[in-house]
Amino acid sequence: MPTPPFEGKGKRPADEIPEPGRYATARGFCLTSAFWMIVAASAGLLGATELIAPDLPGSLAWLSFGRIRPVHINLVLFGFVTPGLLGAAFYYVPRLLRTELFSERLGRLTVLAWNGALVAIVVSLCMGYTQGREYAEPVWPIDVLVVGAFGLIFFNLALTVKNREEPLLYVSIWYVLAAVILTAVTYALGNVIWRPDSGALSGIPDAILLWFYGHNVFGLLLTPLSAGVAYYVIPRACRAPLYSHTLSLLGFWSLLVIYTHIGTHHLLQVPVPTWLKVIAVTDSVAMVIPVMAFLINIWYTARGRLGEIHADIGAKFVFTGTVMYFFVSIQGSMMSLPQVQRVTHFNNWVVGHAHVGVLGFAGMIAIGGLYAVLPKISGRPLFSRFLADLQYWLILIGVTGFTVVLTVAGLIQGNAWLNGETVYRVLGEIHMYYIVRAGLGLMVFSAALIGMYNMARTLFPRKGGAP
Amino acid sequence: MKMTPAGVTFGSIAVLAAVVFVVVVLPYADTQKTRPSEIVRRRTPEEALGRRLYMENGCVYCHSQSIRAFDWGMGAQRVAKAGDYVLDRPILLGSARTGPDLSQEGGEHPDDWHRAHFVNPRFTRPLSIMPPFSFLAEKEASHLIRYVQSLGMKAADRRMARQKRWKAASVEAYEAGPAANVAWLHDQIPAGWRAVPNPYPTSEAGLARGRKIYQDFCLGCHSPIGDGMGPAQPFLYPPPLNFTILKGRGISGGILYYQIMNGITGTAMPYFKKDLESEKIWEVGDYVAVTFIGQSDADTAPKGIDAAYEP
Repeated sequence: MPTPPFEGKGKRPADEIPEPGRYATARGFCLTSAFWMIVAASAGLLGATELIAPDLPGSLAWLSFGRIRPVHINLVLFGFVTPGLLGAAFYYVPRLLRTELFSERLGRLTVLAWNGALVAIVVSLCMGYTQGREYAEPVWPIDVLVVGAFGLIFFNLALTVKNREEPLLYVSIWYVLAAVILTAVTYALGNVIWRPDSGALSGIPDAILLWFYGHNVFGLLLTPLSAGVAYYVIPRACRAPLYSHTLSLLGFWSLLVIYTHIGTHHLLQVPVPTWLKVIAVTDSVAMVIPVMAFLINIWYTARGRLGEIHADIGAKFVFTGTVMYFFVSIQGSMMSLPQVQRVTHFNNWVVGHAHVGVLGFAGMIAIGGLYAVLPKISGRPLFSRFLADLQYWLILIGVTGFTVVLTVAGLIQGNAWLNGETVYRVLGEIHMYYIVRAGLGLMVFSAALIGMYNMARTLFPRKGGAP
Repeated sequence: MKMTPAGVTFGSIAVLAAVVFVVVVLPYADTQKTRPSEIVRRRTPEEALGRRLYMENGCVYCHSQSIRAFDWGMGAQRVAKAGDYVLDRPILLGSARTGPDLSQEGGEHPDDWHRAHFVNPRFTRPLSIMPPFSFLAEKEASHLIRYVQSLGMKAADRRMARQKRWKAASVEAYEAGPAANVAWLHDQIPAGWRAVPNPYPTSEAGLARGRKIYQDFCLGCHSPIGDGMGPAQPFLYPPPLNFTILKGRGISGGILYYQIMNGITGTAMPYFKKDLESEKIWEVGDYVAVTFIGQSDADTAPKGIDAAYEP
C-alpha cells in the first residue's frame, strides 16, 4: 500500500523556522493567490452588481460589464486558483521527493513573470485588448508570457524530480507534472499562438478548438492540480495510507483520456459534426470514471477519520472541495445530455455550475492547500484558525447560495424561452435572483479579504510579537 | 504500473496528441469543407471595425449569435447553418443569452433606434440590463451600428433596404405636419383593422395591466406622460409620437393594436408581437387611449360576444 512519503517520518518541519529563501517560490504563489482572489472577487462582485444596476459604471469603459466579466474569469482561473494550487505544489513536490526545489531563484522569477502576466491581463482586458474568445481572451504577448511561465514551472519541477532522493513518484507528482506540461501545450494550441494577429481560426473549427481548450483549462489544469493537492493533504491530515494505488492510476490516466474529449458538449446546439457531439456526450458521461476513481480513493482514505479532517483547517477546505467535485461532476455529466441542455444552455444554470466547479471544488482545494502548507513554509502556526473558519463558512455559504439562486434563475430563463417568451420579458423575472447573487458575492469577497489578512499575519508576524 | 517521470510526461503528451488528433484535427478536416451559406457576404471595412468593438466590449458574453434548431418554433426566423460562419475569425457564437440572440439582428431596427439604445439601453428598452455605451466616440458608435445592422448578412441587407424605404416615407409624413402625419400613419393600417374597436371594456384592472406594460416597453420613447419626449427622443427622427395629437383624428383600438403589434418599420417604433401576447397589446393600447389620447373606443360596437370574465 503506497503512502505519501511523510517527510522526515515524524519530524515536523513546522517546528522549525526554515532558513530564509527556502520555499520562496511557494510563498510567492501563496501570496499571489490570496491577493488576486481579492481582485478577482471584486471584479465578480462589480459585474454582479452591474446586472442589478446597469448604469453603475456610467461612462467608464474600463468597468463596463463586458470588460469586467473576462477580467473576473481570467483572474479567478490564473490569478486565484492556479497560483494557489501551485503554491502548495511548490512546497509538496520537493517534500515528497525528499529534496529541495531545483531553483528558488528561477521560481521567484516565475512568480514575478506570473504576476506580470496577471497585471497585463487586467490592464489589457479593461482597455479592450482581447482576442474575443471566452477563456482565451488575453492577447498574444500575454499568451507567450503565460506559456513561458508554464514552461519555466515545468523545467523547475522536472529538474526537482530528477534530483530526487525518493525513488517512488507519489500520485500528486504525476498530476502536477501532467497539468503543467499539458496546459502549456493546450494553452498555446487553444490560443492559436501561431497566429499572433487574431489568435483564432475561422468559423466552426474555431469554436471546436476554443471549447477543446476552454474545457481543458478545467480538465488539464485545475482538476489535476486540485487532485494533486487533495492526494497530498488528505492522507497527511488523516495520518493514513492512501486507499488504492490502482485507483490512483485509473483516475490519472482516465482523466487525461476522457476529460480531453468533452469540450464539444458546449456546442451540442451548434452545427458541428454529429460524430463529434456523440464523442463529447459519451465521454462527458464517462467522466464518472476518473471522478469516482479519485473520489473513492480520497474518501476511503478518510473513512472513519473525518474528525482529523475537521480538526485540520487545510484538510477541511480540501475535503469540502472533493464533495463539491462530486456534485459538479455529476451535474456536468447530466448537463451534457441534449435533453437537459435544451433547458440549461445559454442561461444562469451554467453560471451556477461554473461557480461550484471553480470556487466550490478547485478554489476550496486551492485555499485548503494554502492553509496546509502555510505553517510549513513560514515555520509558524496559522495566525488565526477562527478567521480561517470564518472564511470557510463565508465561501461555503456563498458558493452554495450561488448554485441555488443561479440554478433557479437558469430554470426560469430556460423554461420561459422554451415557452416562447422573449429574453427581454424574462429579465424582470430573474432580477431578484441577481440581487441575492450579488449579496452572496459580497460574502465571497469578504472571505478573500479575510484570507489575505490571515495569510499576511502568518507570513509577516509583527516584530516583537508572539512567534 | 511503475510511474516514472518520463512515463508520466511523455505518456500524458502522447495521450493528448492522440486526443487532439481525434477531437481537433479530424473535425478540422471535416468542417473545412463547409461552403458559405446563401446569406454570406464579405463585411465592409466599417462593419469589420464594428465587429472589433463588439469583441472589445464583451458583447459576446451576453449575446449569442447562434439560433438553435429548437429555437425554431419559438420565434426564430432562421436556424444557424455551419456555412453562416465561414468568414468569422474568431467565431462569436456566445455562451449566454442574458440579452437576445443577435445572429439576425440586422435591419430589425433603424439606425437611430440603435444610437439611442447604445447611449443608454434603458432609453429604448426600460427593463434592459445592458451596460450603457455612451463612452463610445461618435465614429465608434457608427461602426458598431454598421456591424449590428449587418448581422444576418444578405438577409440583413434586405431588411435594411426595407428600413430605409419606410424611413424616407415616414420622415416625409412627419414633416408634412401632425394632421398629415396621423392621416398617413392610419392609411398604412389595413382597412379591416382600422374599423375594429378595442374589444375589451375599459376596466381598472385592465388599465393597471396596460400601465405596467407601458412602463416596461414604451416610456423610454413616448415618456411617462405620452408626449413623445422620453429620454430616447433626442436621438430619433421622426421623433416618437405625441399621443395627444391623435385625438379626434380617427384613431381606433384596432389602429393602436396593429401599430403596437407590427411596429412602424423605418421609424424607431418596433414590433411587439414577439414580446407581448394579444390581450397585453389591447390593454396597453387602451391605457394609451384612455390616459394620453383621452378618447377610447373600448367596448363599443361591433364587439362580438363578451369574454366570460369581463365586468
